[in-house]
Amino acid sequence: MDYAYLAAGIVFGLGALGAGIGNGLIFSKTVEGISRQPELRGALTATAFIGVGLVEAMPIISLVLAFMWAQ
Amino acid sequence: MKGVRTNKMGHLAPVLNLGGFRLDLAALFMIVLSSLIVFVLCRLAVRNLSVENPGKLQNFLEWVVDFVKGIIGQAMDYKTGAPYLTLGLTLILYIFVSNMLGLPIGIVTEAHDLEHATFLGMQLFVEGHHDHLAFAWWKSPTADASMTMALALIVIVLSHVQGLRKNTKHYLKHYASPNIVFLPLHLVELVSKPLTLGLRLFGNIFAGEVMIAVILGMGIVGIPAMIVWQGFSIFVGAIQSFIFTMLTMVYISQTIVHEEDH
Repeated sequence: MDYAYLAAGIVFGLGALGAGIGNGLIFSKTVEGISRQPELRGALTATAFIGVGLVEAMPIISLVLAFMWAQ
Repeated sequence: MKGVRTNKMGHLAPVLNLGGFRLDLAALFMIVLSSLIVFVLCRLAVRNLSVENPGKLQNFLEWVVDFVKGIIGQAMDYKTGAPYLTLGLTLILYIFVSNMLGLPIGIVTEAHDLEHATFLGMQLFVEGHHDHLAFAWWKSPTADASMTMALALIVIVLSHVQGLRKNTKHYLKHYASPNIVFLPLHLVELVSKPLTLGLRLFGNIFAGEVMIAVILGMGIVGIPAMIVWQGFSIFVGAIQSFIFTMLTMVYISQTIVHEEDH
């Protein structure tokens, strides 16, 4: 049985789960902040996207690993 | 793991085997190209400098310098951080240009068999067995893990060396703070910082290029998808260059500015 495909699927699936939850938390707080102070919208959105870049580091590394194993 | 050394969907990297040292020619050419582009861009921007009547390129470069000053100011107070302005400027410009290079163009050459896979008479190195040899010559330099890890190592080693030189006592003490029990955690952090810094940039740009190859394989159906994905890749490239520079400044500030909290 070829476990490489299974490994790739599990690794990336869990990574996607982490990315989804992390990004959801970031943006929920951002929307809350914008609703409290609408004039800070630009700064809050910019910070949110920076946070997304940081949070998505591990899931993207898991994507690269999944591609390596599935080839 | 079959099919090693493919950088996207079956395209091989043209690697020269120099007595055990494997040199990726595509990465080499692209690194030189992006260095040239950044150099030419900056030299053109500082021609005919003028205070009252700045040209567009000069305006743009001044904006970038102000932007990097803001990044440094967020991480540490600007007086201690002023020496790192050139470093931050180089990083953000170079990584941004490198991330953008791989998006519009792809150059692939094919060889019938291993004997004909040569570059200027030198045999290209191919691991494993492939029926169809296709080499990809144009890619983002940052889509190569060695390149991004090199950038990350430069920056992390710089922060440690500066910490040892300028802040020796506090830098060495911080490994045992707040308690000696934290020493393993700090050692793990020592390894994980360069690793995540380099792999984050590599993963984002490499995954973007793989996706471009996949969408190309979809043919005419993939044209709207390609438009959307190219736009998203430009966005990701810009954000990743900003994040790399910002994290550089944060790591440097962590090693050289210690007096307040310990």
